[in-house]
Amino acid sequence: MDELWQDSQPTTPAESEGTDGVENWTLSDLSDLSDLTEATPPPHTPVRSKKDTSLGYELYLNVRTLVFVLAALILIFTFVVRIIVVSGRSMENTLQNGDSMLVWCLGYEPKQGDIVVLTQRSYQEDSLVKRVIATEGQRVDIDYDTGTVYVDGAPLEEDYIKEAMQVPNYGEGVNHVTVPEGCIFVMGDNRNDSADSRYPSIGIIDTRSVIGRAVMVLFPFQDFTLL
Amino acid sequence: MRGKKPYQILWLVCTLALAGIATGVRLWQESTAFEGDGGLPIRGAAASVAMVCVLVMAAAVLCILAARQPVVRPPRTQIRGRRWDMSFFATGDLVFLALMWFGAFSALAAVPMLFGRGRALWKAYQVAVSMKTWQGGDNGVLSMVTAVLALLAFFGLLQIGRDGYHPGRRGRGGFWAALPACAGCGWLLETYRNCAADPVLWDYVPLLLAVIAGMLMYTDWAGMSCAAARPRRTLWMAGMTVVCSWVALASGPDNGTAMLLIAQSAAALAALWRLPINLQNPPRVGWKGNLDACSIQDPEPQSVPRDQPLTPQPEPQPRVEEDWTWTREESQAMNCTGENKEEDTHV
Repeated sequence: MDELWQDSQPTTPAESEGTDGVENWTLSDLSDLSDLTEATPPPHTPVRSKKDTSLGYELYLNVRTLVFVLAALILIFTFVVRIIVVSGRSMENTLQNGDSMLVWCLGYEPKQGDIVVLTQRSYQEDSLVKRVIATEGQRVDIDYDTGTVYVDGAPLEEDYIKEAMQVPNYGEGVNHVTVPEGCIFVMGDNRNDSADSRYPSIGIIDTRSVIGRAVMVLFPFQDFTLL
Repeated sequence: MRGKKPYQILWLVCTLALAGIATGVRLWQESTAFEGDGGLPIRGAAASVAMVCVLVMAAAVLCILAARQPVVRPPRTQIRGRRWDMSFFATGDLVFLALMWFGAFSALAAVPMLFGRGRALWKAYQVAVSMKTWQGGDNGVLSMVTAVLALLAFFGLLQIGRDGYHPGRRGRGGFWAALPACAGCGWLLETYRNCAADPVLWDYVPLLLAVIAGMLMYTDWAGMSCAAARPRRTLWMAGMTVVCSWVALASGPDNGTAMLLIAQSAAALAALWRLPINLQNPPRVGWKGNLDACSIQDPEPQSVPRDQPLTPQPEPQPRVEEDWTWTREESQAMNCTGENKEEDTHV
């Protein structure tokens, strides 16, 4: 469609043969000079193409590359995936403080057992990382005596939690609830050091607050793993 | 004839109309499509659907307009190729100059706002670190970087306006647009950083699109001067920059961001004001006496058999483009007479 910028077109015979510079001269070209005296200077000094040497052109290429790459990356990291850094200990031992996670955002619907990144503005502006315990319509019952979580009456097999669950310092909080439509119930794997759906200020999470699902730990490399 | 259609007016009318519609729909969306307490989006809200439709429609309409924009190839010169950089020459055009300088000073006004915000965040960050209570978040560095880059954008826009109004002997076209393009990179990073934890895409996607559209416009603008001229895409991006910037402005951004949006919106309007004219009727260059001898599209070079002995060539005549100047009246006359209509080809 649009025409690319065309560099200077040669108009002299030497240039019209495609001599873009001295480097392009060949032996046959030199033999053509046989009828000239030795003292005769080259008839025309080929000029290197402006496109090859222009500082402005090189600079422009760098700027263009930077702009296009950055725009593409930002769009990808907005609509498709994100990299989120874990802040806090609430997901130990699955996730450590400072881990960088790859989070899948595009078309994600929360499912039980997924590790999700969410933002509950009523609690704090920064994002939280928690595990989905129950989704809409499911009944959650927490028994602190046995340290067991029941979903729809069935105990969860939780081999991922850090230690046996105890009563939080804010009390039992939300421990018997049916998850409303369009919401999820989340908890951290470090049950005794986690502000999650049990905490009344956070409570049940609206799925529209979910940014995405944590897919893998990227950094540090020794913690690299699929989630 | 298509070359005589008032594409300048078409561009301005279409862009401003689309921007106005998009702004209205955005305001409607802001008032009806989000829940009052948490700001979460209401599923299936009519205003959100309309917003998407309007943005897609704006992109399509401007794309069609760009595809139909007549483009006359500017003259080819010996050392600089085609003079696409002349497409932004606006000798004596006060509207272009005023828009560019308004954009420049809007960018300048954003500098203290962005820097002040960044400095405040930096101080808060230092206090939190000293008290070992820092839990992540914006430390203000990107805001300060954006402020510095906005200063560069100010110089770039100022220079573009000046170069367009007084092109000088050689002219520099729009290469200075590379400065606001670079500023857009910092701005984009800052915008993304501030919204990375926001689950509501509608809160920040219009702003991201506006920044990206502006960056692409400035990049193509700079490309007209030095490397890759894409005049139609430049026009399209300028139109989208205006539309997206107005939508982002309707979202109520902070003052520094608003000034940057106004700056790029003004620059885009300046491009839409000047570029269609110059693409239809490129400014001619050279002494008045040489103008008659200077063909708009030089003939392709004649090939010479390689076995032909090389002979000393006479000294080349002074290049026309080295000596060009023209007056305001000549420029206006050139732009009004519809010269070169035989060259009215779509490139």
